[in-house]
Amino acid sequence: MSAVTRPLPRAQVRTASPRKTLRLVLRYSLLVVILLFAVFPFLWTLAIAVTDKSAGVNIYDFPASLFPRHVTFQNFVQVYQTFELGKYIWNSVSITAMMVVGTLLISALAAYPLARFRFPGRQLIFGVIVATLVLPGETTFIVNTLTLKGLGLLGTHLGVVLPTVAGAFGIFLMRQAFLAVPASLLEAARLDGAGEFTILTRIMLPLSRPSQAALGIFTLVTSWNAYFWPMLVLSATPDKMPLSVAVLKLKGQFNYDPFNIAAGALVMMVPVLLVFLLAQKLFMRGLDGAVK
Amino acid sequence: MRASWRETLLSYTFLAPALVLLGLFTFYPLIYGSYLGFTQYDGARFAHGLGPKWVGLGNFRTLLADPLFLTSLWNSVKYLLVVPALQFASLAVAVLVSRELPAMPFFRAAYYVPVVTSISLAAVMWEWVYNRSGTLNWTLKALHLLPQGAAFGWLNNEHTAFWAVMLVTFWRGFGYYMVLYLAGLQGIPEELNEAAILDGAGSWQRFWRITVPMMRPTILLCSLLSTIAALRVLEEVLVLTNGGPLNSTYTALMYVYSKAFQGFDFDYGLASAAGLVVALVALLLSLANFRLFRDADGSQG
Amino acid sequence: MNPKRFARLFALGLSLTLGTAAAAPVELQFWTWYLSPKFDNYIKSTIDAFQKANPDITVKWFDKQDSMVQDFISSVNLGGAPDVLNLNIDETAKAAQNGFLRDVGGLTSPALLNATYYPQSIKNFTTNGKVYGYPWYGWLNEGVMLYNPDLFKKAGVTHIPRTTSELLTLAKTIKDKTGAYAWVPAMKDPNTASFLGYFYSEGLPIYDAAGKAAFNTPKHAALLQQYVTLYKGGYIPEDVVRREAFQIATELYTQNQVALIVGGPQALTRIKDTNPALYAKTAVTSAPLGSAGVQTGGSMDLVIPTASKHPAEAAKLAAFFTNNANQIAFAKVVPVVPTTRAAQLNSMFRAGGADPIAKATGLVGSSGRYINPGYKAPTNSDDLYKNLNDNVEAALLGKKTAQAALDDTVAYWNANMKK
Repeated sequence: MSAVTRPLPRAQVRTASPRKTLRLVLRYSLLVVILLFAVFPFLWTLAIAVTDKSAGVNIYDFPASLFPRHVTFQNFVQVYQTFELGKYIWNSVSITAMMVVGTLLISALAAYPLARFRFPGRQLIFGVIVATLVLPGETTFIVNTLTLKGLGLLGTHLGVVLPTVAGAFGIFLMRQAFLAVPASLLEAARLDGAGEFTILTRIMLPLSRPSQAALGIFTLVTSWNAYFWPMLVLSATPDKMPLSVAVLKLKGQFNYDPFNIAAGALVMMVPVLLVFLLAQKLFMRGLDGAVK
Repeated sequence: MRASWRETLLSYTFLAPALVLLGLFTFYPLIYGSYLGFTQYDGARFAHGLGPKWVGLGNFRTLLADPLFLTSLWNSVKYLLVVPALQFASLAVAVLVSRELPAMPFFRAAYYVPVVTSISLAAVMWEWVYNRSGTLNWTLKALHLLPQGAAFGWLNNEHTAFWAVMLVTFWRGFGYYMVLYLAGLQGIPEELNEAAILDGAGSWQRFWRITVPMMRPTILLCSLLSTIAALRVLEEVLVLTNGGPLNSTYTALMYVYSKAFQGFDFDYGLASAAGLVVALVALLLSLANFRLFRDADGSQG
Repeated sequence: MNPKRFARLFALGLSLTLGTAAAAPVELQFWTWYLSPKFDNYIKSTIDAFQKANPDITVKWFDKQDSMVQDFISSVNLGGAPDVLNLNIDETAKAAQNGFLRDVGGLTSPALLNATYYPQSIKNFTTNGKVYGYPWYGWLNEGVMLYNPDLFKKAGVTHIPRTTSELLTLAKTIKDKTGAYAWVPAMKDPNTASFLGYFYSEGLPIYDAAGKAAFNTPKHAALLQQYVTLYKGGYIPEDVVRREAFQIATELYTQNQVALIVGGPQALTRIKDTNPALYAKTAVTSAPLGSAGVQTGGSMDLVIPTASKHPAEAAKLAAFFTNNANQIAFAKVVPVVPTTRAAQLNSMFRAGGADPIAKATGLVGSSGRYINPGYKAPTNSDDLYKNLNDNVEAALLGKKTAQAALDDTVAYWNANMKK
């Protein structure tokens, strides 16, 4: 059982003393302070994005710009129509979905032997994988675009996903998660005649759900916000570009409309936050039902 | 216990997709990139379709002789100070939000917001905070920590700009590591905490005696990632100070970036060499990290 | 019909059919910089007109943002390089020096070039005696001065500044009387807008007769010192060490914290978007000049990369887009300065009007011949400009005297300028 899911036993709750209430108040105060620290730029972006710009508002007029008097969704509509966001949103969804699924699969597959088997070459392979985190990646794009060209994958979503789907981070994270599974469970399963693949899918994966959820979220966020690599791969097929590249257009030299920029930024941010809110259940759920 | 022949075959089968992709798209380019560090591959050669030209240690000599590179390296190493602060805060916040109390999911999502906030928009807000007449000075004045007339822009002088930018990195990071720590906290058995409470241990004691030791593998992972990230800080600096004032926030990757991505006067060879030096430092620090948090690898069968 | 004649006719007929068949449709890739989506209509309609006039050429248009140069470099490697590319003065020089561009004089006759564009505009894009770009739309750094009449009144300013030295004294007056900054000088702006521009406008030389850097005479130092004094006194916004002056000026102007902006009319477009009330009462007049009475400016151009596979057709497209008619049409959409000779005669630039943007357009539109960066950028400009900027910063922050800062910069330039 995790430290998180079970509520306090009845007995303790009943003895709620003033001290306990004080602690609760303190806790929530602290949480609120941290909250303000975390979200103040977001609040400002939100405020500007819904501001009715025809009222002649000055966005740098702090703190007045945080509380717009005239609110509208017109900025979002304008951005959506002018920049044809629908198409780009679909591209982002497609690329991100492939990335998340691919990363989860490949990381889990690779992490299992690295965590549980002592096969020859294990240390070397693990070392090499960690090394990729450290080696300079600034010039890898040159070679990768040429490789993709050779494979005929330039200008495709698959070409955007393949080079980054197998990442050291994911393998590392899943390996940590797998290491935490008690050996006794695996012994029992093997004694019961379960094959390795069954062990992976029936025991390891369910037990490492929180880490998977975390990996999924990270991959989702990174992929959704990535613009350099997709821009490079898709530069000849702009219709396939993801949203992250399309919103760059909002900030050109002649395009300086801060209300639209804010609206565009929110369109980028809000879907991810919603997914995060929903996915929390996944990595907070704990091990109920998985332990036999 | 060494793996059987069957287990070895199975291991490599499972590893195959990762190894193939990593090999082709990560390792091979990295080897090539490292090789580039020993060549001259600038715009002129590039435009004429010429390949890189071998120059041995020439680039490294140039780097060592360039005071800007040495400054940038030093700044990046200084940036490592953010790691312990960030890790401690992230773990503490994770513990804080791990109880299933009302509104917790909302707080967790809120703390993740900086991670997904566009840095260029966040920069406008942070500039307002650090402005001479901005929020930070206003708060300090209200708390009587700032004498009258002593207000200054925190990003505009070489003493405070560095710490100001570091705070932004902290702000962007704590939600990120909080999520990793939350996932890791799942692995701590509830019984341990309960037993400790019955024994009369306060939350501070429980934190240091139970939580931290049990979280060792996650702390290792997070501090490793954080160390590498700190060495490779680029975005915040580009957006807030562009390396100034007086190059006090000019980080190692800014140097690499300026040699690789700023227009036609590029030199991939020099940029790669700089990248290699950073990689070397990162590698040494990673090894130190592993040593420090020697994880429980190998003790489980 | 006699056989010989028939043979000739047949041969003629054959060659005609073969001739037209050989003119297979050519597809050109055209990259512009920062022009979409605001000017989508203008670009698309111009492309349509071109395609109508040249039925065997189709144009595929892409607009690029910050990643323009990087994308172009990558495309050279990957074989998808554009045929016509939109750059500016500095980038054209750098690209040409590194061998990325074709000599335009080989594609369009020099005589035609000279007849179409201002001589200075052509010079702007000439490197080592060869012309590498078709001059396109431009802007003047001392184009117009737009100011907030309310702030002027509050500070008791009645005389509109006509020279830069008047501007410098105005900095103190306005700040002391209203609390707003007078204006934001470019202390560390990228490339063509660097501090060297101020030397140039006061008639102080950048290079000596032998071509070596020579901007560290006592006169130069004195000028820099004036700005340093203003900075130290808080009469110039602190942020100039960190950000582009143009950005700071536009932001602060809309907040009534800067009284005037000297520059191109583009600032007006931004002000109109962010603070329409202030835009309506902004006054526009010609910009104050330095004692040398010269103006500086920059411009965009269209270049033909070496990697282009259809240089002849690309030249046609570039020449079409940059011809007088099309540049004037562009100036009607946004207040840019055309670089074609015929523009100075256009009646559109004599008009004026109450609307600030219209007035500004009228003031600068016919001044394309003055567009020049003022001095030749050094070869490895990125490196050298960074050194200049670092030293200017050091002077502003009191780490070095103005003289020492300039001495150090000149020493660095002369030691590192690539030939």
